[in-house]
Amino acid sequence: MKIRQLLTSQRVLQSACVLALVALGLFVWSLFDPRPIPVILAMSVGQVIGTVSLLAFLVVVARDLRAGQRREPVGAEKRPF
Amino acid sequence: MIANLFSYASLSCAAIAAAILVAYLVKRPPLSGVVKVWLLLGLGVFPIGSAVAGNIQGYQTTEKRAFCASCHVMSPETSDSDDPHGTSLSSRHARNALFGADDCYVCHADYGMYGTVLTKIGGMKHVWMYYTQYRNVSAEDAKKTIALYEPFPNATCMHCHSTTDELWNALPDHKASLAAVRADRLSCASDGCHGYAHPNARPPGVAAK
Repeated sequence: MKIRQLLTSQRVLQSACVLALVALGLFVWSLFDPRPIPVILAMSVGQVIGTVSLLAFLVVVARDLRAGQRREPVGAEKRPF
Repeated sequence: MIANLFSYASLSCAAIAAAILVAYLVKRPPLSGVVKVWLLLGLGVFPIGSAVAGNIQGYQTTEKRAFCASCHVMSPETSDSDDPHGTSLSSRHARNALFGADDCYVCHADYGMYGTVLTKIGGMKHVWMYYTQYRNVSAEDAKKTIALYEPFPNATCMHCHSTTDELWNALPDHKASLAAVRADRLSCASDGCHGYAHPNARPPGVAAK
C-alpha cells in the first residue's frame, strides 16, 4: 500500500522528468567532452536512463487510460443510447 | 568541441526536451491530454532525437585520432601520426586525406563481416585496460608493455595496395614476396619491408628494447 501511495502518477512523472534530464545531461556532456568515459556513459547509461523515463511515462499514460475506461461505462449509462 | 550537424541536432533536441521537462517540473499541471502530448515530446520524441544524433556523433568521435589520444599512454603513437614531417608509416598515412584524422581507426579496424562490432568490443577492452592497468603508468613506461594483440594483418594494407597493380608488381621485392604477403607470412609493416607503423612498435610477443 505504501509503495502504491508513493507511486502516484504525479510522482512517477516527476521522477521520469528528472531521469530524462540526467540522461540528456549525459548526452550533452559527451558532445562537449568527447573522451572515452563521457561517450561510453552517454551511449550506455544515458540510453538506459532515458528508456526507463520513457517507459515510466508510458506506464502512467496506460494506467490513466485504463482508469478512464473503467469510469466510462458509468457515464455511458446516463446517455440516452 | 561541437563538431558537426549531428552535434547541433543532438544539442537542439536536448535543449527543447529539457525546456519541456523543466516547465513541467516547475508548473506541475494535472495530466490532461495536452500535457500528455507535451510530455511525449519531452520524454520521448526529443530525447530519442538527441540520443540518435548523439550516438552517430559519438560513433564518429570514437574514430578520431584525438579520441585515441585522450588516453595518455597512446600519445607516443598519436603524436607520431600528428607529426607533419614524420617518416613512419603512420605519419605518412595520416597525411593522406583518405586516412586523415581517422587514421588510427582506418588502420586498426577489423574489416571482417562483424568488423565494426568487433572493433568496438576491442575498443571497450582498451578502455577497461586503461582504467585498470595503465591510468597511472607514464607513457614512457607504457611503451614497454603496449603491443598489438596479433600481428598486423596485410589485408588492411591491401584495402588500398591491392598487390595486383602492375606498378606494385614491377618492384622485384614485391614480386618475389607476393605469395608470402597475400598469405600473411611476411608482414608489410615489418623490419625488412616498410618498417613498423610507429617508431616504438614491435611484433606481438617481442620484448621492448
